[in-house]
Amino acid sequence: MGDTELELSPARLEELQKSPSTSSTSTTSSLSLPSSPSSGPRPLTSSSPSTSEGLPTSSPPLDVISEGVGELSLVIDTEVAKKACQKVLQKVKFLKADGELSSANSEPVLVNGTAHPSEEEAEPVKNVRRRQKNNSSKQSWLLRLFESKLFDISMAISYLYNSKEPGVQAYIGNRLFSFRNEDVDFYLPQLLNMYIHMDEDVGDAIKPYVVHRCRQSINFSLQCAWLLGAYSSDMHISTQRHSRGTKLRKLILSDELKPSSQRIRREMPQPPPSCPPTLHHSQGMSEHSLSPSKRTHQRSKSDATVSISLSSNLKRTASNPKVETSQDEDLSSSSDSLELEAGTPVRLTPQREFIKSLMGIGKRLATLPTKEQKTQRLISELSLLNHKLPARVWLPTAGFDHHVVRVPHTQAVVLNSKDKAPYLIYVEVLECENFETSSVPVRIPETRIRSTRSVENLPDCGITPDQRASSFSTVPNYDNDDEAWSVDDIGELQVELPEIHTNSCDNISQFSVDSITSQESKEPIFIAAGDIRRRLSEQLAHTPTTFKRDPEDPSAVALKEPWQEKVRRIREGTPYGHLPNWRLLSVIVKCGDDLRQELLAYQVLKQLQIIWEQERVPLWIKPYKILVISSDSGMIEPVVNAVSIHQVKKQSQLSLLDYFRQEHGNYNTEEFLTAQRNFVQSCAGYCLICYLLQVKDRHNGNILLDSEGHIIHIDFGFILSSSPRNLGFETSAFKLTSEFVDVMGGLDGDMFNYYRMLMLQGLIAARKHMEKVIQIVEIMHQGSQLPCFHGSSTIRNLKERFHMNLTEEQLQVLVEQMVDGSMRSITTKLYDGFQYLTNGIM
Amino acid sequence: MAQTEKKAGLLRRTSSSKKPLKEKVLLMYEDIFTKEDPTKSNPRFWDELFLMKVNLEHLEGKLEALDGDEVVKIRDNINSLFHHCVQALAEEHQIKVVNALQTLCALFRGVHQKNKSATGFDIINMLMGFDKAELRMKELMESLDSLLCGDGSESLKSLCLKLLLCLVTVTDNISQNTILEYVMINSIFEAILQILSDVSSRARHGYDAVVLLALLVNYRKYESVNPYIVKLSIVDDEPTLDGMGRVIHHALAEYNRQYKEKEEENQGGFFSTLTSMVGSMFIADADEKLSVQTNEAILLALYEAVHLNRNFITVLAQSHPEIDIATAPAVPIPASPTTPLGTTPPSLDMMNNPELPLDPNLQTSNLLITFLKYSSIVMQDTKDEHRLNSARLCLIILTCIAEDQYADAFLHDDNMNFRVNLHRMPMRHRKKAVDKSIPSRPLVCAVLDLMVEFIVTHMMKEFPMDLYVRCVQIIHKLICYQKKCRVRIHYTWRELWSALINLLKFLLSNETSLLSKHNIFQLALQVVNLFNMFITYGDTFLPTPSSYDELYYEIIRMHQVFDNLYCMVLRVSANAGPWKEPASKVTQALVNARAIINHFNPKIESYATVNHISQLSEDQVLEVVRTNYDTLTLKLQDGLDQFERYSEQPREAGFFKELVRSISLNVRKNVSLSTMSQDVLLKEFSSIS
Repeated sequence: MGDTELELSPARLEELQKSPSTSSTSTTSSLSLPSSPSSGPRPLTSSSPSTSEGLPTSSPPLDVISEGVGELSLVIDTEVAKKACQKVLQKVKFLKADGELSSANSEPVLVNGTAHPSEEEAEPVKNVRRRQKNNSSKQSWLLRLFESKLFDISMAISYLYNSKEPGVQAYIGNRLFSFRNEDVDFYLPQLLNMYIHMDEDVGDAIKPYVVHRCRQSINFSLQCAWLLGAYSSDMHISTQRHSRGTKLRKLILSDELKPSSQRIRREMPQPPPSCPPTLHHSQGMSEHSLSPSKRTHQRSKSDATVSISLSSNLKRTASNPKVETSQDEDLSSSSDSLELEAGTPVRLTPQREFIKSLMGIGKRLATLPTKEQKTQRLISELSLLNHKLPARVWLPTAGFDHHVVRVPHTQAVVLNSKDKAPYLIYVEVLECENFETSSVPVRIPETRIRSTRSVENLPDCGITPDQRASSFSTVPNYDNDDEAWSVDDIGELQVELPEIHTNSCDNISQFSVDSITSQESKEPIFIAAGDIRRRLSEQLAHTPTTFKRDPEDPSAVALKEPWQEKVRRIREGTPYGHLPNWRLLSVIVKCGDDLRQELLAYQVLKQLQIIWEQERVPLWIKPYKILVISSDSGMIEPVVNAVSIHQVKKQSQLSLLDYFRQEHGNYNTEEFLTAQRNFVQSCAGYCLICYLLQVKDRHNGNILLDSEGHIIHIDFGFILSSSPRNLGFETSAFKLTSEFVDVMGGLDGDMFNYYRMLMLQGLIAARKHMEKVIQIVEIMHQGSQLPCFHGSSTIRNLKERFHMNLTEEQLQVLVEQMVDGSMRSITTKLYDGFQYLTNGIM
Repeated sequence: MAQTEKKAGLLRRTSSSKKPLKEKVLLMYEDIFTKEDPTKSNPRFWDELFLMKVNLEHLEGKLEALDGDEVVKIRDNINSLFHHCVQALAEEHQIKVVNALQTLCALFRGVHQKNKSATGFDIINMLMGFDKAELRMKELMESLDSLLCGDGSESLKSLCLKLLLCLVTVTDNISQNTILEYVMINSIFEAILQILSDVSSRARHGYDAVVLLALLVNYRKYESVNPYIVKLSIVDDEPTLDGMGRVIHHALAEYNRQYKEKEEENQGGFFSTLTSMVGSMFIADADEKLSVQTNEAILLALYEAVHLNRNFITVLAQSHPEIDIATAPAVPIPASPTTPLGTTPPSLDMMNNPELPLDPNLQTSNLLITFLKYSSIVMQDTKDEHRLNSARLCLIILTCIAEDQYADAFLHDDNMNFRVNLHRMPMRHRKKAVDKSIPSRPLVCAVLDLMVEFIVTHMMKEFPMDLYVRCVQIIHKLICYQKKCRVRIHYTWRELWSALINLLKFLLSNETSLLSKHNIFQLALQVVNLFNMFITYGDTFLPTPSSYDELYYEIIRMHQVFDNLYCMVLRVSANAGPWKEPASKVTQALVNARAIINHFNPKIESYATVNHISQLSEDQVLEVVRTNYDTLTLKLQDGLDQFERYSEQPREAGFFKELVRSISLNVRKNVSLSTMSQDVLLKEFSSIS
């Protein structure tokens, strides 16, 4: 930690040289940098490593800007921008002084320059119109808004998008630094899309932030690179090559954007004597000030972690010293600098290779004709992948830092798809503090679950030729040593997997499980045949309903298994299972599919979920995370404990209602009622989503049912302006079959009324925050060729569906109409029939 | 005998046309075989010698022709020759290296043939001299090691391995080969591993390397500590183990492929019109030709890997697509190009490697599946000694696998389903199963199928008792695992039950002839106890309640077998004699089967009389069974789920000694041939350099 603080000083030097204008008032230097990740005005940030508060030493933003591609000038290029910025910054300074007071004051008089209603909690709708009149309000109001606590990331994005004022844009660009990383990350697609497709000023405002974050995080770097690639793909090929999006992507992938410390070292080969030595030892002149022990320590923190890639993992072998010696413990400085000289982007490489392998598997699977072959190939490919794990790789869809240690390959399944080969894998990870700096877990061989005696206990064997002679003579002949080598047979299972016994059954069957070890009492033990038979049928009855294995639908069984059960089962069978930070994740790998629309849908769903939560409307939806890797590949976070309604119906051969009763009990049980309520709340939520986003292709294969009774819509391939094959089916507002209504208790039931009421409340709440939703979609519209933006009226139509002009009574009527219409709609039924005929989906 | 064979191989195959003209190299050899130091007359003698093309047979013949006194006289020269050979290995000039390797080969062979009776120490003294032996061998092994691990020519590596194989197999009994003591001290284990871990070198030299390793592991296995055993047991590097697995997989698959080809050939022709009986005889004949003897060496390697190295178990399940039949598998795979990033770690190539070709018609396979198929072929006919040994080894390997928890876990993994086409012996009373109809199932089903297949096809006069015992033990171990872990596989247990009952029946009807050679009560006890497992613990691993009913049905249906067995063991145990004890154990074990029969038979009879049915249908019997469970009491037997773990020593030691001896003979024979063909390579080689 101490290092980072000290390292900043060269950057400061740089600052003094390069930008005398900003630093001329050195007293205000900390204040002039509201965007500084380490200075005062960002009370919200928590993750920055350098937390030296309020000291003028901290000047990374300039550093950052200058390092980008040396485009510092662009940011403060125009005089206007400069002035505006300084004005704003001045304000910020004052604001800082009296902190919360001013932000409290600013609330009632908030106005903005553009047609955007700002967000305030529980603000009456009518205020919106009033405020819209004040289009031409003064800069100062704007500044007060920006300074206020209410100015959140959503507003920042909105102003960035709508404001034509370079000064404002530049300010917001700087302001981005003050938001929490997670908040900005949500809008990353928007930011990058603006960067790619909008004018220079916006791009210049955004870039420093992106570059800064890229330096901080490998994950962010890769996300950016992937998104930049994906969203640039709609440009014409000739412009694409030279577009700034592509350039930035290249910059990121070239791994130029290392953490600033390394950067500095390279740019300033001769640091002033006062400058403490940098992490690297390649500079001879700084060597003397370092004690050797400190050096190695530092190296292990920085270089080693950076350079440990998949490749070095592969060399680890306990038994093949010839290979091992090449990668000796003390990572020699020569090999390290070699990597730097060669310009090998080792920092991002492991993860990129990992993703590449996963995509490669998907591509190869697509060539195989049958599901069975695909599954077998998938398993074998994954088992090969396992050889390269653990490594500094992770699943970007997870919510915590971790390293992937193993892919339980036999659990992977191929998903149902006609011509592509999406597949679902489970991934074992070890949670860690920080995947960039925490050391990669040591590999444990597959078979180690059971072994007690192994390499660790025989460490000397075959290390060096000299040791050989001595080592083997001390090791006893293995065959006379049977116990030691055979600890782990079936006989030991009881010791190793105690759960089997404690978990499983009643006491009676315990009796029959343990072999009768009644040596001391020679009394014969008798047992009734009827008991054995009864236990057999009871045990089979007690196991939760499982789906039957179907080679044509291998995913059904895997998805039906309760998640907790699966986690427990996999944990038992893995050599890493005993570690306390072991976690199981799952991910769907999609190859050949464009997930950009899915990502858009995710964002909208997430936004609506937040809105409904904020407005306390108990609608239930489940946005699942999407990772766009390119315009035709990506990953999806699977919804756990859920199977498609198609699979439910096919496997159970029951109506939905009967299936509910089978799974949750009879009508008046609490379980059933809870499940029913969940069903209604989710149904209402998704009906609204389907209506607002015009989600099409709603057959039962695209609607999941989870173990608590929620439905979850998946596959947002047809939204907004696109619909499958433009057949004009599915004209109803959303899908509401009579089966769904049956589960809700029929048309006259209370639950059905509840459903309609939820719809109305949800729509009102969504309408209130319409801008937040629209903005997500609208920004992504920029430069996009996605089918969902087909035509010119996508955004207008979307806005119209919020029915801003209707009174609540009118809205209620509208909802009634939609519900009735959808229910009577024969097109839903027709579409299901069509799907059944063409795709065999029930 | 082996001696003459070998001689023939060496002598006849070379160009005899050169005889009249005396090559220079022969003159030089003569110089060596004098008492004089050859460098006296020619100071550059050794330099020149290794530039000459080696005349192996001549040199060997010379060595052989020596008698005791002469040996002593020219010992210095031979020591010198050996010394210079070793030195030449370090030469840059590769022709010299090649010649030195071949000369060494001839030296080892020649000296051993001459001194068949001599002790190993004499041989060492003659070759290297006692005082220098340790140093020389150290130098030799180090040179070989660096040649094998270096980036040098592939033919050189191949020759190194041949030399080593030659050295390892010069004696019939590997443990009497004293020179190997130095190979133990100066391990080349790491070099072998490196060959196996690298894709391209594995393709070229993998087979030799694996055979060499298998043989080295068997050097004085039971008497001393063999470092190769220790090292092999702790290897945990996946690419290496996987490489080893692939070499074995490839060799076994190749055998399977050849067999299948031959089989199809035979079936297509005239013989297809004959009865299946004749056909089967013919196939048996065809197999004789097919049975490539060296596959025992590969099987031994598989055994050692499975038995010694617990990490190797994972390799068994490591799937890769079956090697394409059309492409010649011997073609070495070129090292895959590095990825654009250039950062590909050495074995990342496995991911985008031609070894996983994109042929949609390929069925994914793994070593275990290939091994099961191979076993099914080998077990078909156990009359031939080699095949009997192979079958025995197959069953031993399966025993080891069945005992391993990890192996059991993937055998029973519900997500790993495969179609395994086992070979079934054509028999009169059954049709050959159509290959396509086999469903995709967990691998344990294939193992059980193989066991059932063996049980029903080997009830013959030359009863392979020990194979049967192993077979039943394997089933027992698998069931123990299922019981412990409560795994319920959907297997048609009925086939197994009826096979086991038929086995009992066979034992009964051939009691007298079998008893003269075997302890049939041990096998009978195992079989009866398997039934006890099903009867008393069936609730823990049977797939459905009705399968438990079926078990009872099967026992009741075949009650006569149990009745007769009971009578027999009762009779034998009543008489004093060697079988009294084992027979009385069977008597006790039969308690439950008899209880079931005695309980249900009257019920079934009364059901028949009440309902006026003469012959009850299966469903009716099952109905009776279901309704009458509650009044039946069973006795829990002790230690049903306990088994004796496999241990090689002392029980199997004799078998393995003999096996290694026969493998040694085989390898020696084949090495000599291939050493000769090496000449071709060398010619090419000399033209390059």
